[in-house]
Amino acid sequence: MRLPALLALALALPAPAAAAPRGDEHLLPAGGAVAGWQAQGAARVYSGSELYELIDGGAEIYFEHGFERVTVRQYGNRADEIRVELYAMRNPAAALGIYLARCGAETPAAGFDERHTAGRHELLLVRNRFYAVVSDLTGRGQRADALLAFARILADRLPAREPVPVLDLLPREGRVPGSERLIRGPLALQPFVLLGEDDALQLAGRVTAVAAGYQAASGRTTLILVPYADAAAARRAFEHLLANLDSEIRPLTRSAERLVFRDYSGKYGEVRLSDARLELTLGLTKQP
Amino acid sequence: MTARYRSMPTSSAVDRREFVRAATGGAALVGGLVLGRPAVGDEKPAATETNIGDFMKVPRTRLSLPGLFPGRVVKVTDSRVLRDERVDAKVATEMVEKGIRTLTGRSTTDSFGLFFTRSDVVGIKVNPVGPPLIHTKPEVVEALVKWLVDNGVSRKNIVIWDRFEAMLEQAGYTAERFPGIEIVGLQTMDESENGTSWRAADGSHVSAANFDQDVFYLAKGVVGKNVRGYPSDAFYHNQHVFTGEKSFFGRLLTQRLTKLVNVAAFKNTGNGVSMATKNLGYGAICNSGRLHQPLFFKVCTEVLAAPVVRDRLVLNLVDGIRAQYEGGPDKDEKFVYPNASLYFATDPFALDMTGHRELVAKRKAMGVPTNEHPRFTEFLYYAEKLGLGVASPEKIALVEVRA
Repeated sequence: MRLPALLALALALPAPAAAAPRGDEHLLPAGGAVAGWQAQGAARVYSGSELYELIDGGAEIYFEHGFERVTVRQYGNRADEIRVELYAMRNPAAALGIYLARCGAETPAAGFDERHTAGRHELLLVRNRFYAVVSDLTGRGQRADALLAFARILADRLPAREPVPVLDLLPREGRVPGSERLIRGPLALQPFVLLGEDDALQLAGRVTAVAAGYQAASGRTTLILVPYADAAAARRAFEHLLANLDSEIRPLTRSAERLVFRDYSGKYGEVRLSDARLELTLGLTKQP
Repeated sequence: MTARYRSMPTSSAVDRREFVRAATGGAALVGGLVLGRPAVGDEKPAATETNIGDFMKVPRTRLSLPGLFPGRVVKVTDSRVLRDERVDAKVATEMVEKGIRTLTGRSTTDSFGLFFTRSDVVGIKVNPVGPPLIHTKPEVVEALVKWLVDNGVSRKNIVIWDRFEAMLEQAGYTAERFPGIEIVGLQTMDESENGTSWRAADGSHVSAANFDQDVFYLAKGVVGKNVRGYPSDAFYHNQHVFTGEKSFFGRLLTQRLTKLVNVAAFKNTGNGVSMATKNLGYGAICNSGRLHQPLFFKVCTEVLAAPVVRDRLVLNLVDGIRAQYEGGPDKDEKFVYPNASLYFATDPFALDMTGHRELVAKRKAMGVPTNEHPRFTEFLYYAEKLGLGVASPEKIALVEVRA
């Protein structure tokens, strides 16, 4: 191969990691921006499947929600270390989806007007299509003030907030505060129900479903709403579901628009096809 | 032996969690999504053929699983063990001794004699994933080492081990902290981006010699090629040492250790547990990433059925000083809580069922979506059918001791 051809090939290939910035380093706090905390080396960027190099278990849920890259920098203050991970997700729903899966019962710090949850060891933050984790690596849990200081700087640098409209589909009445979740694939659905193998609702990371717990006199139920692109897509998903039900799902009523079933625990569930939407109600104590 | 475990330089300081470790990563990937099913009883036949039948043909010993105390689980709780987020080593030692005594009904010295001889080479399998919050705490291991040494085991015959060497140091298992004790990772891997130093000149993995190619877990037709979640086959090879349909056991287990003590951490993987059985099921073999999708939890039963584990694993602990009910197996502070408890059993399946039930209760109490589908525990019932342990809650004797 002649030299010009080699050069052309080299130019066509993705740049090596060290050659040029490819992440969101510019959004991270600079060394010294939080008093006493100096950056330890350059930021490192993990794009796409490189996320597996960073996360000790659980990376798949990021991909399911729509992961693009994470930029990581570590900071030191004497013997203490703090790490900032800034995840760039595909869109605000993807970022909020992973945040809601990870935040648990939110415990925001007083005076910090950004969606976040603060603990003694970690602070999680979401804004626009970014999700951030600020971690105290010491294990002593005495650096909460520094975690918050890093988060404040991050928040100032992130793009403006954007709403995630799918959340508005959820009825307010009876909804358990903090129980909202976004579902874009089988991993996020699995804590609620196993309807069938693989992607039972045909979400494929493209359809964003929304779920929440509801408290009624008869107990707590879960409502999952799945808005598809159109009625045909919703029908295809419903038919796929009917044809691939988990062995622990016992159908009681099955029609072109409705499935009523009993699950492994003896509770009832209902799936309704309504135009371009599937509506799932789980955990019913009486057959609907 | 230590010299054969080659170390790799880390590429940067941000590698604290370091490389994938799909032994845990893939587990979380599935979290019960595509699990194997028991091959015995009235369950569906397994889709993947394994060599469990060969394991079961080997005659058992006095100490074979479920060990000397089938179905017996001891939980020792002492709120003093965590002070200002630090583990109190003295209290942890008291808890370990109390747990052993309660499990066996004998003194710690007599208990030692039930499980060990002075000439044993004892391997302590820890779980280093999730420091500083949810790993096996070194203070607990120090207490076990003390028990062994006090009863005559030479320090040079005690090995603290895990599958991945870099993680051990990050979790606090260093020569400085454990003088005279060998600390061994079964394998290394290249943690640098696109690194190739894991590959020997002949194309094999530099850690290949650390695994015994005569002792393996077979999953027929399941190979380490095009495995979901791995960006390339080379990436998989780096992390899993071999790529065929056999997962070889570490030579450390097959040729050196005569007894095993399993010290797991109390945490979840999806709606299931990542405790005693997974700590060894995915920690004692190589080439495990290929197993997650077709077999997942079933591996936790069948690998423990291999005589090299089944006949040497004499004691299991779960470190629940801190526990995590969601977001595992890596740490997730929002779901970590001070549980101030250690769990003891010779029967790892009874231990995991106990942990599972506590996890489910905690998840419900905290309002976390909880799916109790049978597939998250059927691998434990499978073990019961194989005579390896007790899984039925009504058959488990849980003894709770509070300080």
